[in-house]
Amino acid sequence: MTTTNDLAGALGGTAPSRTTQVPRRSRTVPARRAAAPWAFLAPAIVLFVAFLAAPILYSLYLSFRTEKVSGLGLGPGSRTEVWNGLTNYTSALADPEFLASVGRVGMYGLVVVPVMLGSALLFALLLDARRSRARRFSRIAIFLPYAVPAVISSLLWGFLYLPGVSPFYWVFDQLGWDVPSLFSNRLVLFAVANIAVWGGVGFNMVVIYTALKAIPSELYEAAELDGASQVGIALRVKIPIVLPSIIMTFVFSMIATLQVFAEPTTLRPLSNTISTTWTPLMKVYRDAFTRGDLYSASATSVIIAVATFVLSLGFLRLVQSRAFGQENNR
Amino acid sequence: MRLTTGTKVAAAVAATALLATACSSGGTGGDSADGEAVELTFWAWAPNIEKVVDVWNSEHPDIQVTVNKQDGGDPAVTKLLTAIEAGSGAPDLMQAEYQKIPQLVSSGALADIAGEISGELAGHFPDGVWNAVTLGSDAVYAVPQDSGPMQFYYREDVFAELGLEVPTTWEEYAEVARAVHAADPNTYLGTFSANDAGWFSGLTQQAGASWYGIDGDSWTVQIDSPEVQKVAGYWGGLVEEGIIDNKPMYTPEWNAALNDGSQVGWLSAIWAPGVLAGNAADTAGTWKMAPMPQWDAAAPATGNWGGSATAVTSQSEHAAEATQFIEWLNTDPAAVQALVDETGIYPADIPASTAALADPPAFFSNQPDFYELAAETAQTANPFTYGPNINVAYSAYNDEFAKATEARTQAAFLAAVEAVQTATIEDLKNSGFSVKE
Amino acid sequence: MSVRASTRPSIIATAILVLGALYCLLPVAWVVVASTKSAGELFSTLTFLPSTHLLDNIAELVAYRDGLFWRWMANTALYAGVGGALSAIVSAMAGYALAKYQFAGKAAVFNVLLAGVLVPGVVLAIPQYLMLAQVELTNTYWAVLLPSIISPYGIYLARIYAAAAVPDEVVEAARTDGAGELRTFAQVAVPMMLPGLVTVFLFQFVAIWNNFMLPYIMLGDDRLFPITVGLSGLLNQGASQPAMYTLVITGALLSVIPLVALFLLLQRFWQVDLAAGAVKA
Repeated sequence: MTTTNDLAGALGGTAPSRTTQVPRRSRTVPARRAAAPWAFLAPAIVLFVAFLAAPILYSLYLSFRTEKVSGLGLGPGSRTEVWNGLTNYTSALADPEFLASVGRVGMYGLVVVPVMLGSALLFALLLDARRSRARRFSRIAIFLPYAVPAVISSLLWGFLYLPGVSPFYWVFDQLGWDVPSLFSNRLVLFAVANIAVWGGVGFNMVVIYTALKAIPSELYEAAELDGASQVGIALRVKIPIVLPSIIMTFVFSMIATLQVFAEPTTLRPLSNTISTTWTPLMKVYRDAFTRGDLYSASATSVIIAVATFVLSLGFLRLVQSRAFGQENNR
Repeated sequence: MRLTTGTKVAAAVAATALLATACSSGGTGGDSADGEAVELTFWAWAPNIEKVVDVWNSEHPDIQVTVNKQDGGDPAVTKLLTAIEAGSGAPDLMQAEYQKIPQLVSSGALADIAGEISGELAGHFPDGVWNAVTLGSDAVYAVPQDSGPMQFYYREDVFAELGLEVPTTWEEYAEVARAVHAADPNTYLGTFSANDAGWFSGLTQQAGASWYGIDGDSWTVQIDSPEVQKVAGYWGGLVEEGIIDNKPMYTPEWNAALNDGSQVGWLSAIWAPGVLAGNAADTAGTWKMAPMPQWDAAAPATGNWGGSATAVTSQSEHAAEATQFIEWLNTDPAAVQALVDETGIYPADIPASTAALADPPAFFSNQPDFYELAAETAQTANPFTYGPNINVAYSAYNDEFAKATEARTQAAFLAAVEAVQTATIEDLKNSGFSVKE
Repeated sequence: MSVRASTRPSIIATAILVLGALYCLLPVAWVVVASTKSAGELFSTLTFLPSTHLLDNIAELVAYRDGLFWRWMANTALYAGVGGALSAIVSAMAGYALAKYQFAGKAAVFNVLLAGVLVPGVVLAIPQYLMLAQVELTNTYWAVLLPSIISPYGIYLARIYAAAAVPDEVVEAARTDGAGELRTFAQVAVPMMLPGLVTVFLFQFVAIWNNFMLPYIMLGDDRLFPITVGLSGLLNQGASQPAMYTLVITGALLSVIPLVALFLLLQRFWQVDLAAGAVKA
């Protein structure tokens, strides 16, 4: 449930400016033609309204409500739903556990995104380099984790992390090294990050590799004839050309990071260091499912959605004005 | 003009799509036209319970029960409460752990079946168990199925090898823990699991604690009572001293420790043989069961961990038939026998259980009097009251005691007790419950 | 450096790639080895020491509750296969409309469609449940299928593919020949977009396959479960039941095999261009 939906999210405010075409010819069109795009869009719009827009609006509504109990709360009708104003929002923003989870996810993102995208870019460049061998094997192997659902991959890594059953700790033990548990307070963030990197590097590699393959080979053959090294070509020719793809993967990864949930939730029962509110979405889950408080959970999710939106939009604006601004002005 | 055409098309497509899905959805609930069998759905997680239900179905063609297997405990409650909130989608019948009953009742999820049960039903169960399904009122919210009195399970072979006696008091338990750990620093008599709130509440129940109480028209919360402090302080001391492990139970690592003998004891409940057989089958014949170590040897006591009842949900349209089924399931001698044989539970029903529990569980065939001893311990269970937000208390336990076990100090354990108390009582008050402090 | 020299195998480059591959294969190798172990061996023998119980484990898994595992596999194929296919069709139509027509409100529609997914699935699951419960569709195949069809990401990709693969001139020519809008789309545009649509299908296939929360909330009847929810249930049996690790591990292995096969067969379609528009510009 992690990477997929999340990836899509990034596209929010960005895509239109990239793909909207310049209006070509304005002329009158027959009515049938005018209705056609709406007919084509109709299934998507209907499904969108039914399964995305309506639930979101419903969440928004719930986020301003709460449930009040009277007395012992045991008889029928002892619960009533009432308006609660902004209380759900203020208490979420004042909750130290929530703020801690936001800080934690920030740290987690600083680890995951650069490592994952750095490796993805490196692997993609190596796949594209003629001097590498074992390219087909590596491409498939590195992409393979994408096929493993986060719930299952976390279970597998959990086995590899627990000192009592892990082959790594067995080796360390034989060597006489005393290696701290990956579930210790200091390392648990990296333990979770590793699973995300493992699951995500392949997909991002494929995205960047696709862009690399689209580069006309004359571009760098010319550079090769000029005596440029492979590294130099990668840095000076290839990376700048695939930059837009890297930016998009960055936005997707950032959103996936903010929504990290499945990995720490699966690992939580294995350790003492992952709390039930370890990430913002885990808090949403705990409030909604463990505590049965849909109202607070809705408010927290609205906060997360808005923050995600602002972050991804802000980042893209920043990048566009820096990287593409000059191009457009030229 | 263009917009309206578009809107029309969209509306038409929408209507068609909704119509198509609504028509093809098929009925789920019990539609019982005259003469047709009543169909009941039953959410349960006890293994193989569908085999017991098959017995009923073959004998009662007019009331057919379908089991929908659930993940154990919490997820089933979550789903049920969501269905109740939504107003549809709940099953007719629900396996519910005792500690969840106040929460389910408070959410309006369970039907009061006092008017449907037969008169002598209450006499089938121990008072404490019956109280858990009535919440001390005139209503009846469920029929008890099994109970989970706690005992001490230990590796008899390791104890013999180290020349250790079975601890009968907590003081002796600490000494044995010290001796086990001294003999091999990788070996522990047990672990303090921050992941199992039910286990800890059972330990405090043994010490005489009750986390909640009802005072007139108000709830009371006593998670920071002296009894709970005593238990938390005791375990905090053992963990601080390092003679008890601090890792959670039910992890692959814990399984490995049971297998390789680095966990040589387990404070568990009557269903422990099934877990041990599943996780460490090769250690069969090396385990034995004894009563819990005691705080006061003169007044033996125990707590409960687990145990569940069968309830009729408030969305069921066939409460009478459903009640008929759950009475049969949990008190009919043949049904109770089948429950013991197929699901391996420890039945709450007193009259039927003696016959059903004649033989020890296979994993404990080396202990012929297993169930006699268990019955003795079961009678010493202390009374205990669960509250309507036990879910909050348990999840606070997970977080607070996780920090404490990681910190490995007695002070942290005592602080955790306070934190759980605060979180629980704050949540009750915020929800509007009447709370007396 | 000459051009000839640049095709000489590089040890460093190859080593880095192979290391990456090994890192990614490590847990997979662990699953393969672990699935050959009996329940006792899983926790008592060396991690990467294979045993001989693979067939026993498979037999036990298949026998579990009269073959429920196969049912979970079939359900997963249904949810992911049918859901992915429907999603590709819906996305193709929407993407084509957005790429090839000019109409008022186009930008707004596209923005709204895409912005919707900023809300993660965990958050959507409960309101979706409450709303589907109103039409009594919870605990049915529809409850998982219907919400899985809409994929803003698929629409985005389809729009890129339509813009890149279907020249305006071809569309115009079809219209001049008297083809209707629908025929132009179905017979001219779709064949051109097809490789891209396969990617959309694969992407949504994996998305549905990975989605845990939606079926977990929607379904009460375990005969409707997909494989992820089913396997996770075997681990979370409550305190009084042992977790069925061997079954879960064997099940995880068996369930990944079809997906890997699908990847290998269709790998040339795994060409995800996230920024085609930008590159062209």
